[in-house]
This record gives sequence, C-alpha cells and structure tokens, in this order.
Amino acid sequence: MTAPEGHSIADYLKGYTDLGRLRGFACGCGFRTATWVLACPRCGSRDLTDVDLSGRGTIVACSVQHVPSDEFLNEAPYAYVVVELAEGGRITGWVAGVADPADLPLGAAVHFHPGYKPGVQFVQD
Amino acid sequence: MRETWIVGAATNRFGRMAESAREAAARVALAAIDRAGLAPQDIDHTFVSNAFGMAEHQGHLGPLLNTALGIPEVPSCTIESACSSSSAGLHEAFVHVAGGFADAVLVVGAEKLSHLDTVTATGYFATGADFPFEARNGATFPGLYATLASAYRRVFPLPDETLAAVAIKNHANAALNPHAHFQKEISLETYLNSPIVASPFRLYDCCPFSDGASAVVVAAKEFLRRPPTTPLVVAASVRTGSIVDMHDRTDLLGLPASRRAGELAFRAAGLTPKEIDFLEVHDCFTLAELLALEDLGFYPRGAAGAATREGETARKGRLPVNPSGGLKAKGHPVSATGVAQVVEVFEQMNGTAGARAVPRSETALTHNVGATGGSCSVHIFRRG
Ligand SMILES: [Zn+2]
Repeated sequence: MTAPEGHSIADYLKGYTDLGRLRGFACGCGFRTATWVLACPRCGSRDLTDVDLSGRGTIVACSVQHVPSDEFLNEAPYAYVVVELAEGGRITGWVAGVADPADLPLGAAVHFHPGYKPGVQFVQD
Repeated sequence: MRETWIVGAATNRFGRMAESAREAAARVALAAIDRAGLAPQDIDHTFVSNAFGMAEHQGHLGPLLNTALGIPEVPSCTIESACSSSSAGLHEAFVHVAGGFADAVLVVGAEKLSHLDTVTATGYFATGADFPFEARNGATFPGLYATLASAYRRVFPLPDETLAAVAIKNHANAALNPHAHFQKEISLETYLNSPIVASPFRLYDCCPFSDGASAVVVAAKEFLRRPPTTPLVVAASVRTGSIVDMHDRTDLLGLPASRRAGELAFRAAGLTPKEIDFLEVHDCFTLAELLALEDLGFYPRGAAGAATREGETARKGRLPVNPSGGLKAKGHPVSATGVAQVVEVFEQMNGTAGARAVPRSETALTHNVGATGGSCSVHIFRRG
C-alpha cells in the first residue's frame, strides 16, 4: 500500500491564508486532525481521507498570551486556543483581543475567521 | 545486560555564561571525567546535546568537544530531543555500556541563549512544539503548558496558591544550591505580584531562560574497580514518545509519554513509587511538576497539589521533589537539564549536596520531558 495523495503542509497554510479553508485528514477509526500525517497517529491506518474542516467548534483549552513570539508581537494580549470541531477532531488557533480569560470560557463557541494573518484565527460566535 | 554506573558528574553555575556553550561543555566534561578518576583517553564515545547551538552558529559540537579534551579520534554525535536532549544522550550511553558496545561514555549537555532577546529566545523555545500547527497559530512554550492548566482546572481544583506552593518550594531549595540560577527564596506575595505571562501562569510559574552546562560519565561496573566516588547504579533507563500536538491527544490531564515512561521504568527497576527516596522532575512550569507526580504514579490524579501545599514534597518532607531547585529555580539551560538532574542525584547520593541534602538517598528518579511531552526520559538510580 502506498502513501495517500493528501495535501501538503504548504497546501494547508495556503488553504487558510489565501483560500479561506481549513484542510485536514479523517480516518475510518474516527480520528480527525489538521496536523499533517501519512498514517493515522491513533490506529496506524494509511486509509486517510483528505477533508475540509468546518472551522466551527468549542474551546476545550485556552491561555491568554502576554509574551508572544515575533509573529504575534502586535497581537498580544490574545488567546491561544484548542478548539474541538463540530464534526470531531481538534485544531489550534487564536482569538484576538482577549485580555481576561473569563471573556473566553471553556465551552465557548467559535468559528474560523479566514484570510487573517498570522495563524488560524477564530472569533467567538 | 551489564550493570551500568554513573561514575562522575559535574555542572557549572546556571544563569548567564560569559563563555560559549562549547567552552562550558568542555569544562564540565573534564570535571566529570576527573571526578570519576578517569582520563579522557578512557572515553569510548561522547554524546553531546546543544539543541539551540544554531543560536551560536555552531553545529557538530561533538568532535569540537572531544578535540578540546585531547581525544579527537573518539566518536561522538549530537543528540537532540528538545528539553530532554541530554537525558536522551544518557539513554544512548546506557544502551552502549549495558549492551557491551562501550566501557565508558561521556554525556554532556550545554546551552547558551542569554545573548538573545526575550522574543527571539521565546521563538527558539517554540521550535520544540509543532511549528506550523501550534507555534504558527500563536502558541508559545508557556502558552502550551498553560492550556493544559486550563483543562486541568476544569476537572480538579487548581487555585493560584497551589501553583505558588511549587514555585516557593523550588526557590527555597535553589537558595541552597550554589549552582542554581536563582539563589533566593520567594514569598506568596512576590509570586502573586508577578505579571501574567500566559494565563494562568505568572512569571514565577515559569522556568527562566538559563545558560549552563552539565556532564556525567557512564561506565560498566566491570570497567572500574574502585571509583573515587560512590557510583550510582542505573536501575532503569527509559525513553518514550507521544503525539507532539496537544490538540491531537485524547487526554489533556497529564502527559502520556510521562505515564508510559514511569510504568516502564518501575518495571525495569523492579521498584514501586513508594520505594523511591527523592525525585528530580521536569518542572518547566509549576503545573508540570504536579502533572509529573501524578503521571509517574506518586499521587493519584488531582492530588499532587494538596500534597505539595502540605509540604510532603519539601526537602525534608515525605517525598522530596526537586531538591536542586528544579528547572523552575535552578534554571533550564535546555540541553543541560536532563544531565543536570542526574548531577543532583549524584551529589545527594555522595553526601555532597550540602545544606540541601535530603533525609534519605538510597534510591532516586529523574524525569525529563521534551517540550510538551512528545518525548520523555525516566531514569531510576540506586546507590552502588
Ligand atoms: Zn485511525
């Protein structure tokens, strides 16, 4: 069995920076991720489907960043978030303008805001 | 498998080095070899770690180090595993010696970042995570562990005072350690008044950017008749891996690589957590120490915080944790950290830990994590 013809990391980056869509991989075992892989990290299957991710979900982990790295220098403070997607699977991103973690509680609903750089930006519903 | 010992150990003062990582690595290497009662010519193989060597425009450190020690023909290689680099080097040394491929192996870790500004250094640290899928989305190294704190807080109580208790304890230990970056105690007030770096972490929840270098010499029991110091028997040397990206892990209440490494190490050593006298664990952030104690089986999930606040993990407590001051206060020169933990075990077991001596030191465990847990080392030692 050969490796699947999935999208590249460059395709993924171009997807959200230029095309306004989030690409990911889905496995028959139920695992779904944005992370680039050739086989499922959970079950090892190479039978992965190249999918569009909805970009809609809820916050499952969050931290407000006050000391960013250089790409985010002009954005701090902002929230770095782990988002559980509506269709399953998780993805990371950030939410602009959050200084107080209480403003973005776990469980809050968010959606992908395409086209903005840097990174995958989410906004609260 | 041959019985494998740690026969020599040395570290420099963590903090800010005037000299390069290359020079510091050679100095601590020679000190560790001298302490073992060996000569550089006894070394069969060198494993060196310098994960951020590119910050000094220097790769390929092994042959430079061996040349400086007068043994240019000895084979070497650089081992990189983020913050667990030199404990990964120690594992390779163990495999070589236990497997009979070498009699004596030098393991060195060195790092220098103090010439960089905070933003650049923060960028270097973030390279241990998944760059396109985490760091590029705004994750910093504190930010990633801080997201674990938010998940932990949802399930278990984690008041600021609990995180503070870890920081206060480790600063108190470091205050007695002449090699520590910070040699001062801190109060709850100092902790609470420090600025938020990545919520809920304040400045005093975070390890500092430190320069430093540490080295150990690993040797086969049969190679050394009478070492000048009490050797440590390596009772277990375990490495594990896991999914790097936190968002792809099912459980955010600990590090799966730590859990697995702990289980495998206790099995290999034939010991249980109750039989370990003291620990050096990977406390890059205050929460990380609590997660380590739970992942390694010393406390049930959610229970390490209360035990810490009750003083159980203090230097004179039931289970001393990070008597060196840990990454938090002794400092975290990334590639030196894994070996530095073993240097502390060596000093404690040799009775040379001075004022920070723990009550019992027949057995010890070291736990060293690569970045956010994509890799992990656990070593168990007993007095030889
Ligand atoms: Zn699968």
